[in-house]
Amino acid sequence: MSERIIPWQPTVIAGPKQALLVTPETAKMMIKKAKRPLMIVGPSAAEEPLIKYATEISEKWKLPIVTTGDAFKAFNERGIETKPYGIVEIINLLKDPDWNGVKDEGQHDLVIFIGCIYYIASQGLSTLKHFAPKLRTLTLCKYFHSNADASFPNMKDAEWLNYLEKMKMD
Amino acid sequence: MVIIVAPKSKESKQKIFKDNFWKTKGFKVSIGDITGKTTKKESKISEEPSLPLGPTTKPNLTDLRSWDMKLLSRYEPFYAPFCDMCCLCTYGKCDLTAGKKGACGINIQAQQARTVLLACCIGSAAHSGHARHLLEYLTKKYGDDLPIDLGMNIDIEAPIMRVVLGKKPETLGDLKEALDYIEEQMVHLLSACHTGQEGSSIDFESKALHAGLMDNVGMEIGDIAQIVALNMPKGDEDAPLVELGMGTIDRNKPVILCIGHNVIPGSGIIDYVENEELEDEVEVCGICCAALDITRYNKSAKVIGPISKQLKFVRSGVADVIVVDEQCVRTDILEEANKNNAVVLATTDKICLGLPDLTKEDTDKIVAQLVKGDLNGALILDPDKVGEVATRVAMNIAEDRENLKILPDIDEITEMAKECTECGWCVRSCPNSQPMMDAVVAAGKGDYSKFIELYNFDVCYSCGRCEQNCERDLPLMSMLAKVGEHYVKDEKYNVRAGRGPIQDIEIRRVGAPIVLGDIPGVIAFVGCTNYPEGGEDVAKMAKEFLERNYIVVTSGCGSMTIGEYRDEDGKTLYEKYSGDFEAKGLVNVGSCVSNAHIPGACIKIANIFAKKTLEGNFEEIADYILNRVGACGVAWGAYSQKAVAIATGVNRWGIPVVLGPHGSKYRRLFLGRTDKEETWEINDLRIGEVVKGEPAPEHLLYAAENREEATVMIAKLCIRPNDTSKGRQLKLNHYIDLHRKYFGVIPDDVHKFVRVEKDIPIIYKRDIMEILKEKGWKPRRIPQEPSLTQLDGDLNE
Ligand code: SF4
Ligand code: SF4
Ligand code: SF4
Repeated sequence: MSERIIPWQPTVIAGPKQALLVTPETAKMMIKKAKRPLMIVGPSAAEEPLIKYATEISEKWKLPIVTTGDAFKAFNERGIETKPYGIVEIINLLKDPDWNGVKDEGQHDLVIFIGCIYYIASQGLSTLKHFAPKLRTLTLCKYFHSNADASFPNMKDAEWLNYLEKMKMD
Repeated sequence: MVIIVAPKSKESKQKIFKDNFWKTKGFKVSIGDITGKTTKKESKISEEPSLPLGPTTKPNLTDLRSWDMKLLSRYEPFYAPFCDMCCLCTYGKCDLTAGKKGACGINIQAQQARTVLLACCIGSAAHSGHARHLLEYLTKKYGDDLPIDLGMNIDIEAPIMRVVLGKKPETLGDLKEALDYIEEQMVHLLSACHTGQEGSSIDFESKALHAGLMDNVGMEIGDIAQIVALNMPKGDEDAPLVELGMGTIDRNKPVILCIGHNVIPGSGIIDYVENEELEDEVEVCGICCAALDITRYNKSAKVIGPISKQLKFVRSGVADVIVVDEQCVRTDILEEANKNNAVVLATTDKICLGLPDLTKEDTDKIVAQLVKGDLNGALILDPDKVGEVATRVAMNIAEDRENLKILPDIDEITEMAKECTECGWCVRSCPNSQPMMDAVVAAGKGDYSKFIELYNFDVCYSCGRCEQNCERDLPLMSMLAKVGEHYVKDEKYNVRAGRGPIQDIEIRRVGAPIVLGDIPGVIAFVGCTNYPEGGEDVAKMAKEFLERNYIVVTSGCGSMTIGEYRDEDGKTLYEKYSGDFEAKGLVNVGSCVSNAHIPGACIKIANIFAKKTLEGNFEEIADYILNRVGACGVAWGAYSQKAVAIATGVNRWGIPVVLGPHGSKYRRLFLGRTDKEETWEINDLRIGEVVKGEPAPEHLLYAAENREEATVMIAKLCIRPNDTSKGRQLKLNHYIDLHRKYFGVIPDDVHKFVRVEKDIPIIYKRDIMEILKEKGWKPRRIPQEPSLTQLDGDLNE
């Protein structure tokens, strides 16, 4: 198979609208521009070293964290505040323009995903693509997520960790 | 008569089932039958509806629409499009992304709902087509007049048909009327999917719920027909344990493998083998539900396992003859069988595989052609002939096939694995991103441990997608099969043969504890093996709830998966827990079509415990189940259209279902919103007032990301508005315990489920009181008869 930019699981291709491939620089621009960003962290990022990266990135950019699956436990054990939701529950709330966000300050305008199971995250991103037109989605996994608005490319671990390092800096 | 209205002791119950149904198979009258009939005549529970018929007999597409709207306004459809396009007609393809409509005017919500309806129609048609096959064959063999008698402990046969059709079927022939009805409904439902028909997503959903209900009826017809005609267990909680696992097969004997769901060809084989007294010379085994149903027919048949075994077992070449019937059979089965000179017999009109139809051909001639290799398979639509051909061919070709080299040697695998370029495409093409590349790379260094990890518990469910994408064309499935064969020897487990329906006596015993909440819930593990991390997760969930006093019900591939697990004492869960429908019971109802008995048990609770009329009374029964019966379905590996039809059907009865993460690909879930308090209002029929409710059950169809999340959600979804304070304490106790186990803390929403202080589990009292204070909680009245009926805002009322 060729190395064109295709989703990490190639069969996730859904239609003509595909994510923009972004570097850490563009990703950070998106976060800076957002008024009420939210970070969603799945169970695949509930272990070292990812849990540390997720925490540091959220601290750096003052991102409230929603944990999915059972990721809450690992964060809680490290004393990091997160709000647990099922991934389908939080997506359901994010697509409702009247929902007031995790901090009760209004609906979010940017959601940053890391560590959710690829295919269920892809389904959730599809929901947001179709039904949350005002919300931007960005994925920081090492997999290209075509259903997001913006996604990191498919990467090997070393390259990816380098990207995540950069996400911690200005 | 007393024995029917009061629970009997276990001892006398066993006595009733002492007649060996395996031996009486084929005889129309067994001891159980005779006693059953006598009891019935004297029973105080009238067979005929004592109350007037309900309003909806044989409901049409729109007759239950108002009930659907009630469900759908509380549990709004949540769509996750799997594809942004529609390519159904030549106006298209149409791009429906983000608000765009198709050339026919359809939007993405309606398109998703239409796809779900289509899937439900396909699933439902698969079950009712299967039921039609069974019924035609069985009525021809046993006559239309064969009575539907499920033994003395079951007076309420066919609860689903009673509710939906408004009457109970008395004979096998009566089931045809039920089938005629669902077939008519199915035509209308399918026609609604045509371009330019239904335009509203919510109405597509109502139709999908109807298709699901038709599916439930179809399954009930199929299972009842086979139970009564083939004398399968009739609600027998002591149904025997049958052998399960690849290790149970004697590879030195000729092996016949049945794959699919229809028991008839398999029973044809069993009968032939028995009549010819070849039991010790031939192995008859099965994969998927055909296997389960053959063991309900004859316990000497063996179950290889769920559908996830299919490709690796076929690749292993152990089977000499592969008999396929219908549903969930690999469509490349002939090509796979050809690779190792196995013979394929197709046996139903659903799967013909391009094979010549030899149904009317002389048996000797067919056998000769297949043995000589002139043909690699045949379509034979006569089950008796299938029995003879399969057995004779297997006995003839087994010896020659023994000398065939089917799988690579272990050393060869190491050499092959060295070819791997580490391109990673195997992992990217795997539905579960399983680390096939790591397994191959390690095998190249002589380390097979990672292959073994993939092999155990079907962590790799042998779909073969990785192999299709390997740039070095490595035969990854054959490599996996060989490693498994070489290193994983102890594959001997067991599963309790499917018992069919739940007895009325059992319902009488547990009805009150379930409705009041003393038994914390009934949890049904059903569905296929599309597991994200292997089957162990399902067994672990079942074990967790069994240890916590829930009633655990299972069926189909789920029941086999549960059997493939041994606990810390080396026992399977079937060895450890009884098959009784009571707290700590592990109840295998049987195959896919036996799933009907799960909503069936909930329906019987409404009738036996609450005295609700069944006949024609769908809405009241479903309303009762939704608000008062703490049951929850779990389809951790659901993949097929049948699974979505089953889930949608039980949803309409008011039973919530938790799916595994792949369930999100069904495109639609039914999610509640706890923050929208108005959606949880209920009508307390006792006082005739609409009162504040609670999110119980919180969702109707939910997809969890991992086992931990699912386990906690399942416990939560067993909570019902009707729980007594004692029952609520128990349910909350499990919910909080499990939340603490998997999330480390008391759940943040616990205050939503505390109506009065007495609801609080004692051991958590202090913590919860603090939470209640923090949340500004106020006590609410516990509704006496919670109901969704007669609320304002009903679309059709
Ligand atoms: S059915 Fe409608 S949306 Fe689909 S291809 Fe035809 S016109 Fe387009
Ligand atoms: S056979 Fe299927 S499940 Fe197994 S590793 Fe390959 S792609 Fe994954
Ligand atoms: S696809 Fe084949 S060559 Fe590529 S990593 Fe997997 S096994 Fe190796």
